[in-house]
Amino acid sequence: MVKLSKDFVKTAKICGIDHKLEQEGHFYVDKNKITSEQMPKGISAKTTETKNGIKAEITVEKGVKIKEALFFCFGISGKDDKQTIETRLVLEDDSEVEILAHCSFPNAVNASHKMEAKYEIGKNAKLVYKEHHYHGTSSGILVMPKLKVDVAEGGVFLSDFILSKGSVGQVGIEVEVVLGKNAKSEINSKVFGKGNKDIISIIDKVTLEGENSKSLVTMRAAAKDGGRVFMQGETYALGANSIGHIDCQEIVSGEGSVAKAVPIVEVSSDKARVTHEASVGKINQKELETLMTRGMDEEEATELIIEAMMR
Amino acid sequence: MLEVKNFSIASKEDKSILLDKVSFGVEKGEIHCVLGTNGSGKTTVAYAVMGLERYDYVSGKVLFEGQDITKLKPHERAKKGITIAFQEPARFEGLLVSDFLRAGKKDATALEIKKSLEIVGLKPEDFMNRSLDDKLSGGERKRIELASVMIMKPKLMILDEPDASLDIIVYNELYDLMLRIKEELNCTILLITHREEAGLIANGATLISKGKVVATGPFRQVMRKYCEREGRRASCMAFKNKMRVGLANADSKN
Repeated sequence: MVKLSKDFVKTAKICGIDHKLEQEGHFYVDKNKITSEQMPKGISAKTTETKNGIKAEITVEKGVKIKEALFFCFGISGKDDKQTIETRLVLEDDSEVEILAHCSFPNAVNASHKMEAKYEIGKNAKLVYKEHHYHGTSSGILVMPKLKVDVAEGGVFLSDFILSKGSVGQVGIEVEVVLGKNAKSEINSKVFGKGNKDIISIIDKVTLEGENSKSLVTMRAAAKDGGRVFMQGETYALGANSIGHIDCQEIVSGEGSVAKAVPIVEVSSDKARVTHEASVGKINQKELETLMTRGMDEEEATELIIEAMMR
Repeated sequence: MLEVKNFSIASKEDKSILLDKVSFGVEKGEIHCVLGTNGSGKTTVAYAVMGLERYDYVSGKVLFEGQDITKLKPHERAKKGITIAFQEPARFEGLLVSDFLRAGKKDATALEIKKSLEIVGLKPEDFMNRSLDDKLSGGERKRIELASVMIMKPKLMILDEPDASLDIIVYNELYDLMLRIKEELNCTILLITHREEAGLIANGATLISKGKVVATGPFRQVMRKYCEREGRRASCMAFKNKMRVGLANADSKN
C-alpha cells in the first residue's frame, strides 16, 4: 500500500475526489508540483516540473489497451498562481486508453491556467478524453487550453469537455483535430456561463483530411445573468466520402447575457458532405410550459432545463 | 369542480377571438370530453384551463373548486391540483425520465416512479435512466407524459388528444388505462378528443365549433349533436356499433 503524502491528498481534494490510489494510472499536479505520478504497464511518462507548471510526455505503447481510465488532476490551490501545462500524448498503433482529466481551481481569485497539448493517435488507436473543469465560485481565473490532435488511419478520438459547475471566469479553448483515412472524432463541449464575469470562447475545428473520415462536433452552452458565450464549430472536408456534422445549441437567460454561435463549413471534395445546425436564444417554450404545468415556477424550470442540457 | 364562464381569449398576434364566451362545467369524478373537429378550438380550451400564456385574455372566468383561478399562472394552477398531458410531449435533452417525473413530485420515491411507469405499461428498468429526447418513440413519450401527470396525483387531469395517431387496439387499451387512472387517483379528467369512441368511458361532453360552445351536457346527447352537425354519419354509425359492443363487453365482464 502506497503511503499518501499530505501534498497528494491536498491535490486530490482540489480535484474533488477522495483518492485511494486504487487507480493504477494517475497524475496529480498542484501548480508546478507533481504530487503523485503512476502509470500502468505499457505506458511511459516523462515529466518535468517547470517554473510555472509541468511538461509531460506520455506514450501508450503499440497494441496496449488500458482497461481502467487514467486520472489526471491539474489543480491550483492558491489564489493568484499561474500555471502552464505542456503535454504530448502519443498513442502508438492499435493502442487504446481513456483519460479522465480534472482541472480544478477552487480558490482562484486572480489565477491562470494555460495548456499547450499535442495528442498523436496512431493507426487504429483510440483515445477517449474527458475533461471536467471546476473553477471555484469567484470567477477569478483565466483558462486558456489549446489542444492539437492528429488521428492516423482508422484511429478514433472521442472528447468530452464539461464546465458547468461553479463560476467560469474567462475561458478560451481551442481544439484542432486532423483526421486521416477512415478516422473518426466526436467532440462534445458543454459550458455554462453565469454572471457578468463569465466570458467563454470555444473553437472546435476538425479537418477531414482522409477519405471516409467522420466527425461530429456537439456544442452546448448556456449564458445566464450576464454570462457571455461564444462557440465556433469548424469542419473542413477534404477527403472523398468524408462526413461531418456540427450541432450547436445555446440558451440565453437573464439580462445582459449573450450567446453567439458561428458554424464554419468548407467542403473541397465533391464526394464529401458536412451539415450543421444551430439554435441560439431563449429557452424552449414548450419545455418551459411542460415543467410549469408540473408545478415549477419559471426560474426553477429554466434551471432544470439548463442543468439537464449540461449533463 | 371546474366552471368555465363566458370565457373569451384572443390571438396575441392578430387579436382575433379564439374562444368566444365559452361556458361549461365539469363535475367532480367525471370524464368530460371536449369534442370538435380539427381547428375547432378544443386544444385552446385545454390550454386556457391550464392557464398557458399563449393568448390574450378578453373576458370571463375560470373557477376551480369554487375559486377564481383566471389570473393564476400554470404552475400556480398545478399547485392547486390541475395539470395537463400534452398531445405532443416536449423533448428534453439530457433530462432523465426519473427526473422529469420528479419535476411534478419533488419527493417522489424510486418506488413511486417505478409504479407510475408500470401503470402506463413501461418497464421502469428500461426507462428510468433514459433521456427524454428524440431517441424515444412518440408512443413511449406519450406514456411517460401520462406517468408524469399521474405521479402528481392531480384533482383535475387534462388529457389533450392522448388517442391521436393511435390505432384501434391501442386506443382501447388507452381508454382502459384512463379508467384505471381515474379510479386509482380518484381524479376528474377533461379529455380533449375528436373520437366518438371516447363515449365508452365518458360521462359528459362539450362540443366546440369555431371557438364557441355548441352543446354541453351528457356525452350521448352532445355526441348526437356532433354527428348531426359535422356530417359524421358513417363514423357515428360505427360508433353506435362500438358502443353496443363495448357495453356488451362491459356486461359480460360484470
